[in-house]
Amino acid sequence: MRSCTVEGVHADGSIVLRDVTVRYGNRIALDAVSGEFRAGSLTAVVGANGAGKSTLLAAIAGTARLARGSIDCPGALAYLPQRTPIDVNYPMTVSELVMLGAWRAFGAFRAPDRATWARLAAAADVVGLTGRLDRRIDALSVGELQRALFARLILQDAATLLLDEPFAAVDEETAEVLLQQVMRWHQDGRTVIAVLHDLDMVRRSFPATVVLARQCIAWGPTEIALRREAA
Amino acid sequence: MTSAHLLLIAPFESLGFMRTALVACLALAVLNGAVGTLLLVRRMTLDGNVLAHAVMPGAAIGFLYAGPSAMWLSLGGMASGLAVAAMAGLIAGARAWRDAALLAFYLVALSLGVMLVVWRGSNVDVVRVLFGTVLAIDRPMLLQIAVVTSVVLIVIAALYRPLAAGAVDADLLRALGVRTPYGTIFVILVVLALVASFQAFGTLLAIGPMLLPAAAARAWKLGVAASMALAAVFGLAASVGGLLLSYHANLPSGPAIVLAGGVLFGLSLLASGTLWRPAALAQEGA
Repeated sequence: MRSCTVEGVHADGSIVLRDVTVRYGNRIALDAVSGEFRAGSLTAVVGANGAGKSTLLAAIAGTARLARGSIDCPGALAYLPQRTPIDVNYPMTVSELVMLGAWRAFGAFRAPDRATWARLAAAADVVGLTGRLDRRIDALSVGELQRALFARLILQDAATLLLDEPFAAVDEETAEVLLQQVMRWHQDGRTVIAVLHDLDMVRRSFPATVVLARQCIAWGPTEIALRREAA
Repeated sequence: MTSAHLLLIAPFESLGFMRTALVACLALAVLNGAVGTLLLVRRMTLDGNVLAHAVMPGAAIGFLYAGPSAMWLSLGGMASGLAVAAMAGLIAGARAWRDAALLAFYLVALSLGVMLVVWRGSNVDVVRVLFGTVLAIDRPMLLQIAVVTSVVLIVIAALYRPLAAGAVDADLLRALGVRTPYGTIFVILVVLALVASFQAFGTLLAIGPMLLPAAAARAWKLGVAASMALAAVFGLAASVGGLLLSYHANLPSGPAIVLAGGVLFGLSLLASGTLWRPAALAQEGA
């Protein structure tokens, strides 16, 4: 099980992994990974297919069971899995989907107040979905759905964001808009961890990088970590 | 009297049991419209089917214990329905095995129920338990249907948002720290609704009036609440149509109502154009 002990939380709010191991049946998906995501850091996670990148995020998010080790994760986190579990045929509008991110502001029984609606409008503006809020989610393109999910992450307002291949299936323009939002989260002082394939983007925009091949190959400043991977 | 009157009104006017059946079906149509729509949007139709059969062994034990008493049939059915729901919850982690395990529950429950009924009863009792007896609904049963319908609808109205939102993205609610087990609450509501339908439609057909009008309504791609209302209207139409068909053609009424629901489903698929529109699965493939 993931441990989120209060005693283990670092005063500065960083996420600490100790000896993190995840197994799927007999297969080891992640082998004894240790390291620290500093509070407010912007880190890319790279590696080949099956290297355990998604598993690492799932472990931090608490959806993958640890066979060994522990993870200290202070504060609320928001997790965007690679394959969103959202049923796109569900009869709901974009604004309803995005509004779910602010669930804690209204809960099961109250209606969202004016301030929350304003936050929703602002988030929609940032991801370029203004004017498409009343559309049904089954009418969205892949890129538009990803924009909506980013708007929902904005409303979640979490200290830590875990993004699994957030730009994988979207068009270039959408990727650019969403990357800008990632940078904004970073500037806000939030901790952002993103699984990425595009190494050029990682070099350009991500100060820190973790290279995985089931074990941790490299963890540190992007230039150094990627050089070690190439070697 | 006009022929339309003879065709549509006279059967209910002249026969008390037809009126009772109609009232029971109307209450069940409203209940099933809400529960069935949630079953569909939560993608739990297989679960619903299994629960419908899971009601049977318990109802059979109730039958053995007290004869055809509405209360004991219902209490027994509730107990075994919830027991199977709990077992299904235990295997929820083993996704690869889930479908097969649910089907196993369904087959075992059905066989066990039939054996229990035959052990002390007759083949007539078996047919009754399998297909229900809409036309034999009495006042205590009607009262029970009314109470269950009221309770379930009030709970769904109160918990509408989490029950519906949990269907879109259960992981999100968990990540947001929502701890209330809405999934479990919903399963209990489904079992309650099935127990209410059970004596009217039997263990084999109870899922029909729950799913078919709801599926017909879903074809029109409305929002969840509007879909529930339309499903209730479709359920009413299927009930009236089925009862009249069974009266005039001298056919069993439960299957006739389910058949009418099936016709509505087919017509809705055709008329709404759902069959010709590609489903929004683009995201899955990408």
